Amino acid sequence: MAIQFWRIRDRYYRLMGNRCDDCGARNLADKDMPRTGKILTHTQLHEPLPGFESEVPLNLAVIELQNGARVLAQIVDTPQEKIETGAKARAVIRRVRVDGDSGQILYGYKFVVE
Amino acid sequence: MKAYVASVGLEKVGDHWSESLLDLAVGASLKALDGRKVAPQQVIVGNMFSSAGARQEHLGALLASSLGLKGTPAYKVESACASGSTAFDVAYTMVKSGAIDSALVVGVEKMRDIEPEEVSLALAMAESVEYTQFVGASFAALNGLLARHYMERENVSRDELSALPVLSHANAVTAEHAQFRKAITPEVVSRSAMVADPLRLFDCAPVGDGAAAALVVNENAIGRAKSGLAEILGGAIATTEFSVYERKDMLRFEATEMAFKRALEQAGLPASKVGLIETHDAFSVVAALSLEAMGVSKRGMAGKDAKEGRFDLDGDIPINTFGGLKARGHPVGATGVYQIAEAYLQLTGAAGKNQAKDLDYAVTQNVGGVDTSAVVHVFGRAR
Repeated sequence: MAIQFWRIRDRYYRLMGNRCDDCGARNLADKDMPRTGKILTHTQLHEPLPGFESEVPLNLAVIELQNGARVLAQIVDTPQEKIETGAKARAVIRRVRVDGDSGQILYGYKFVVE
Repeated sequence: MKAYVASVGLEKVGDHWSESLLDLAVGASLKALDGRKVAPQQVIVGNMFSSAGARQEHLGALLASSLGLKGTPAYKVESACASGSTAFDVAYTMVKSGAIDSALVVGVEKMRDIEPEEVSLALAMAESVEYTQFVGASFAALNGLLARHYMERENVSRDELSALPVLSHANAVTAEHAQFRKAITPEVVSRSAMVADPLRLFDCAPVGDGAAAALVVNENAIGRAKSGLAEILGGAIATTEFSVYERKDMLRFEATEMAFKRALEQAGLPASKVGLIETHDAFSVVAALSLEAMGVSKRGMAGKDAKEGRFDLDGDIPINTFGGLKARGHPVGATGVYQIAEAYLQLTGAAGKNQAKDLDYAVTQNVGGVDTSAVVHVFGRAR
């Protein structure tokens, strides 16, 4: 299944995306997104999806980037008490998981609190 | 043409170790068909993940052939957790228009044949594989994010949120088809295991197997006899931005707002006449935001209203009268049909100890994803 993620690797590696601000449609050319933003809300997940067992509990947050775009991402390398609403966060590239079928290592964006 | 629910069939929600997905679907179907001498002209199955849950697809033909309905058109409708009510809406639309005169709608889900983490993955398929699943976010995680946002922005307390699962459990005690027939206190909720902070185990609907069926008919099929019928007065489906985190206001359940408004318009009914709501409490926060989207509670007030008894069986506007998703259970693709069957039981005076008094109109609200799809139906007493 890794191919469905390989296909959009630029989005994962370079934090690219697109969306029409008026109607929400997504058939535009991808643009680089700003790599910093602030935490809008966060959670700590105790029951992982398959492939994420070793990372429990998993910190996740909705980050509002400087241009207003939102991204759902893991928060890593951050002391628990610093993960709070309004905290500034910066995108980093990290290993996400190993694909179960092919063994390929998938990389993508995660965020650290500054 | 008028359309009605003519009979329903319910399997108890829970761990059906001895029954297969097909056994459950057949069981609910036979109960619904036994009540009426009407041969369904179509069989429509609502189901979300039989491929993951039972490695079985092609459910329409599978069920129709098992019911001995050779020649009958039959197929499955999928719309995540709103699959059941979406299947019902297809039947309602066709029967109301007169394209067909009767349809059997069967919601079914088999969740307990697979491991819990496989259930989590199957549920996460209602969300984006590329941006939600990829980062490790389960469906519970999205609702945890939503719950924190709700509690922080609207200043909602733990106890207020807990009032919703407490209410659902209270109503399930006397509901024969409910999964958990046990009352709980707010302390049970606030001390239960953390799932996706701040959501705890008792904020979340359980995993269970189930099937529910409803026979939908028009006047051509049923003649003039109106006994044991509930009229379907309106129905609407609405969709909005796919993932909750991309919406300008995450706390606005716009799909529910739109579907509720359209369904009531179709029914020609003001919101003030709605006497009962079966709402989608897959998570406590989802129940709260759904009630607020339907205008039953002001923003941030749904938990407080529940705590004050407004939604009790003898309150202003009873909700989730057989336990809702939280305590009746949430066999995902079947849930919408359970809700509709419960509205039917209420309007035909067959709700037993769970009967709401002086009821004329009932609403069901079922959502797929985090209010990505919303399906609302309006029912009234048959006249």
